[in-house]
Amino acid sequence: MTDTTAAVAAKAPAKKGGGVGLNIAIGVSAVLVAAGLVLWAMQLSGGMVQTAMRNLDSWGLYITGFMFFVGLSAGGLIISSVPKAFGLSGFGGISKVAVMTSIAATVAAIGLVVVDMGQPFRVWELFVYSNLGSPLMWDIIVLMVYLILSCVYLWAQVQAEKGKVGHTALRVISVVALVTAVLVHSVTAWIFGLQQGREMWHTALLAPWFVSSALVCGTGLVMCAAAALRAAGYLKWDQANLVKLAKLLAVFLLVDLYFFGCDLLTAGFPAGEGLAVVQMLVSGPLAPFFWGEVVLSAAAIVICVVPALRTTPLMVVAGLCAIAAIFCKRAQLLVGGFQIPNIDLAAAMTPFTVTNWEGNMAQAYAGMVYWPTPLEFGVALGVTALGFLVFFLGLKLLPLKPADQE
Amino acid sequence: MADKKLVMLVDTKRCIACNSCAVACKIENNLPKNIWWNRIMTVGGGNLDSPEGEYPNLKMHNVTVACQHCENPACVKVCPVGATYKDPETGVVRQDYDKCIGCRMCMSACPYTGVRSFNWEEPKYSLAHAVGDADAPEHQKHVVEKCTFCYQRISKGETPACMDLCPARARHWGDLDDPNSDVSRAIAGRSYEHLLDEKGTKPGVYYLV
Repeated sequence: MTDTTAAVAAKAPAKKGGGVGLNIAIGVSAVLVAAGLVLWAMQLSGGMVQTAMRNLDSWGLYITGFMFFVGLSAGGLIISSVPKAFGLSGFGGISKVAVMTSIAATVAAIGLVVVDMGQPFRVWELFVYSNLGSPLMWDIIVLMVYLILSCVYLWAQVQAEKGKVGHTALRVISVVALVTAVLVHSVTAWIFGLQQGREMWHTALLAPWFVSSALVCGTGLVMCAAAALRAAGYLKWDQANLVKLAKLLAVFLLVDLYFFGCDLLTAGFPAGEGLAVVQMLVSGPLAPFFWGEVVLSAAAIVICVVPALRTTPLMVVAGLCAIAAIFCKRAQLLVGGFQIPNIDLAAAMTPFTVTNWEGNMAQAYAGMVYWPTPLEFGVALGVTALGFLVFFLGLKLLPLKPADQE
Repeated sequence: MADKKLVMLVDTKRCIACNSCAVACKIENNLPKNIWWNRIMTVGGGNLDSPEGEYPNLKMHNVTVACQHCENPACVKVCPVGATYKDPETGVVRQDYDKCIGCRMCMSACPYTGVRSFNWEEPKYSLAHAVGDADAPEHQKHVVEKCTFCYQRISKGETPACMDLCPARARHWGDLDDPNSDVSRAIAGRSYEHLLDEKGTKPGVYYLV
């Protein structure tokens, strides 16, 4: 979400409200959303056979993106609410912008679930026939609450600046928002982690790990967004706050890698079924994503902990590296769940069986079992653009600048 | 708890891997192109119907795999709208095509690789007219489907189509809680296995070995 923000915003003249650059950004996002809608209509009318998803790898880029955007939504809300909830000094006047990134990312996450559904016009059934025992149902409820709460929280901050919402009330909302943020990541993890059928997903560590990953990419996102908005002259922001975020990012990254290490050790050490997961990541089909995550995380940590490297451009690079690292993690988790079939016996293969169905089972799993089709990339890009659109419209229409800079 | 414990026994000693059960299933339920609810898998060899081992020590072994109709089904727990559910009377795990929202949560949850099938496009058929049982539910685009133990047949007191046509008489079906049933007699004195017992799903398909 940030790279385009940076690119577009950098060109924008430093005017109140964002000026021409912001309007162009809104226009471009809207066009991409429209293109995405057309592609989605094609997917629905021509059938999901146009995606690369198949019976043995039944989720793909959309659910990867869903996980990713739920994670991205964390940073803004948590960075904004933790200082308020605990009465600490914050990160300067970016609290409202940060929450706006959360709202935009949550909208994109919900959008990606919708485009993944085979029967989106039956979405109302979720509220009529709710099976409250399903982790997916928990997630839908918590995501809705999270989106509404983020909006309420943003509204409350605006009102508080006008003196219409008291300090205590804002603090209470902060605490509730913080709890919901932790819940939303845990519940998203449980969609995967509670499934005993998938070796890679079935680990108790998944929920805390999702929280730490969310903190990583969310902090990265806020760093990039705030730095870009400052460069565009949208707001003034003390460099010390960016450095503070960079240090936090390093801590979050280390925690995230620590969790990853713990999980891999626990999976691999007994040299049982879990060893296949470790091998798949370290030297198997998912190695590019695994090593990508490790290298990008390490690069970001180095930038964030070496004082001489903490220049604005490099800290933005660190933020982008952190976001990319977490995307790698989401991709390996999603595909990794399907990459190890429980029953890999030879059987008749049809075009519906698995993405690479034309050989035998061993051939289907030789490389990555799933890789998206152009249609999937297009639809996912459209939903991503929807997130951008929401963010840009927020910048244009809502009073997101710090109160003292209006 | 279901009133009955309807289970299927597959006698792997008798199975000749003729694929008749897969075809019977396909016809009975008018399965669209590319969809097989019941598949005959080859154990050992890398390809279909290939032997296991090195010449001259070769052996052939097969296993038929469809929905296991678990007593503790992973799919039923995770379906957000209850479109896949355990029939209270028979314990059969059923699918409601009209309810399914196509989220494919059940496909991720089910440990039995490939027994659940999604209609990735508008169902297509080899014949212009429907075949099999007129009472079998009509297939729909973008919903999940799978073996139902031929619910349309068992609700009429018949047996699932796959075992009816089995030339080797390798399949048995009935109420395991009834000591006089076909399955209770067939399982007596035999040892059996479940697929992926360690997943704790308590499958309703027993493989006699």
